[in-house]
Amino acid sequence: MNVKKFFNPRNILILFGVGIALVIPLIFKAGQYTMLLMTTVLLYAILASAWNIIGGMAGQLDLAAAAYLGLGAFTTGTLLIRWNITPWVGMIIGGLVATLLAMLIGFPLFGFKVKELWYALSSSALVVVMQSLFMMWNEVGGPTEKYLPVGTSPWYSLRFNDYMPYYYIMLIILVVVLLVNRWIRYSKLGYSLLALGEDEDAVEVLGVNSQSSKLKALAIYSFICGVVGGIFASIYGYVHPAFFDTSMSMEIAILGIVGGMGFIYGPALAAIVMVSFREVLRASLGSQLAGLYLAVYAIILIVVALYQPRGIAPLVERGIKKAQTYFVELTRGRRADIKSS
Amino acid sequence: MDAEPILKVADVTKKFGNLVAVNRASLEVNRGEIVGLIGPNGAGKTTLFNAISGLYRPEEGTVFFKGMNITNWLPHKICKLGMSRTFQVTRAFTHMTVEDTVRVGAYNRFNEKNVQDKVDQVIKVCELVDIRKRVCEDLGLASLRKVELARALATEPEMLLLDEAGAGLNATELATFMDLIKKLNQESQITFCVVEHVMQMVMGLCQRIVVLDSGEIIAAGTPNEISNNARVIEAYLGKRAVHARNQ
Repeated sequence: MNVKKFFNPRNILILFGVGIALVIPLIFKAGQYTMLLMTTVLLYAILASAWNIIGGMAGQLDLAAAAYLGLGAFTTGTLLIRWNITPWVGMIIGGLVATLLAMLIGFPLFGFKVKELWYALSSSALVVVMQSLFMMWNEVGGPTEKYLPVGTSPWYSLRFNDYMPYYYIMLIILVVVLLVNRWIRYSKLGYSLLALGEDEDAVEVLGVNSQSSKLKALAIYSFICGVVGGIFASIYGYVHPAFFDTSMSMEIAILGIVGGMGFIYGPALAAIVMVSFREVLRASLGSQLAGLYLAVYAIILIVVALYQPRGIAPLVERGIKKAQTYFVELTRGRRADIKSS
Repeated sequence: MDAEPILKVADVTKKFGNLVAVNRASLEVNRGEIVGLIGPNGAGKTTLFNAISGLYRPEEGTVFFKGMNITNWLPHKICKLGMSRTFQVTRAFTHMTVEDTVRVGAYNRFNEKNVQDKVDQVIKVCELVDIRKRVCEDLGLASLRKVELARALATEPEMLLLDEAGAGLNATELATFMDLIKKLNQESQITFCVVEHVMQMVMGLCQRIVVLDSGEIIAAGTPNEISNNARVIEAYLGKRAVHARNQ
């Protein structure tokens, strides 16, 4: 690998971001609330980045993230409660179960070319159906919380006394999901998905099997949501049908759109900015006027929709390009200085 | 030239509710030919193209391509067999660059290792080198027409369906576009079926012309035969024109 090429402004920015994320909890010795807040931000960043594959790239307005997340949580939780199977295994099985459900739903939906609003409504309905199902299914769900046992080893049962381990687990998953995003974006699947998001008929006459491509995107997205669901259950220490939360699904889609559909780092960036902002607003305004933070949140969304309809990522991209140009000119100038001296 | 036509459409009918858009249309295209499909607005030309390329399922009739019955095949399978197309209203991937757009087509036959070579080759042939890094939404109509042709060409087709590819182009752009199609036909032996309203393109490019009116094929022949065909003149200009011409 060319070392000089690797250290361009874009990669330096990413490394800087990861570095900051790594040391923040250690430097500031953050309290439990702050750690939970940062873990939540990372959770949304992962889910929004996963949504980017089906929503941002393939252009399918999926609103079922919470269905896959909830299913992953219940699978992981039930395996631990009933058979003492570690969540490390449980979350993978949870991811696979979520993928299976996604395929059962996606196969007919994509086969019949259900898209846009109809796809959004169908996927949103899935969350509601799952919530009702688990509310009635007393053996696994039911109206009361099912608590996860702490066990003898916190690493085995993934049940820690503080949130720091969860934060680092989430950070690792986020990096992996971003790398997966990048790999897909520059692969045959990524180009097909991006084109599919623009015009399905035009892509099909170029030899792209739209149903198969969308199913692949849906499988990857639902698997990630399912895996994250396993950790979600571990963080909260219980499973409950409230995990199938339609507003959460909606928020993930919003973060994906505001971040910049199809841009690798956009949705994660939007999640970091918006979810942090939301939580700060909730903490500061919540006591004065409950729900006011939502109004402020909505205003930000409207402003982005009006002035940056393609999301914040293109804005950041432009900034990086400018920095790159400046960087190149700076190094050229230095070389010229050395030569002249 | 093969004895068997590369494309054979037999008695294809496509309806939308009570409207019969294409009524028992039949046509044959031989390998290596450039065939024009013309007709007044609403004649059913694009509907027939959609039925051939798999975007519509015809109610009746069969479509054979390279001797295989491809009726009701999905568009991507038809493309894999060697047929691609362009669209009447350009359907560019607006947020993708020219190079990435062509790449989508090139993946039809090429893998990660050699896809770039194919992309470079097609971009060069279609004279898109200067704009390869530009996003499609920033391009003018003439460039978009070329990009659509390029992405279809990248699939390595044996036959291309061009749906009003000359519409909206000025004389210079049209001449360049026609030269490109002739070159592709002669050098790469690609068969073309062209839906077109621009008569300069039809007459200057096609070896044979098929005329469609109200969903039915009313004439077929050489450009000279078609330009003197009374039914064709009537379909385009009305009965008075035929009467005036005869006088």
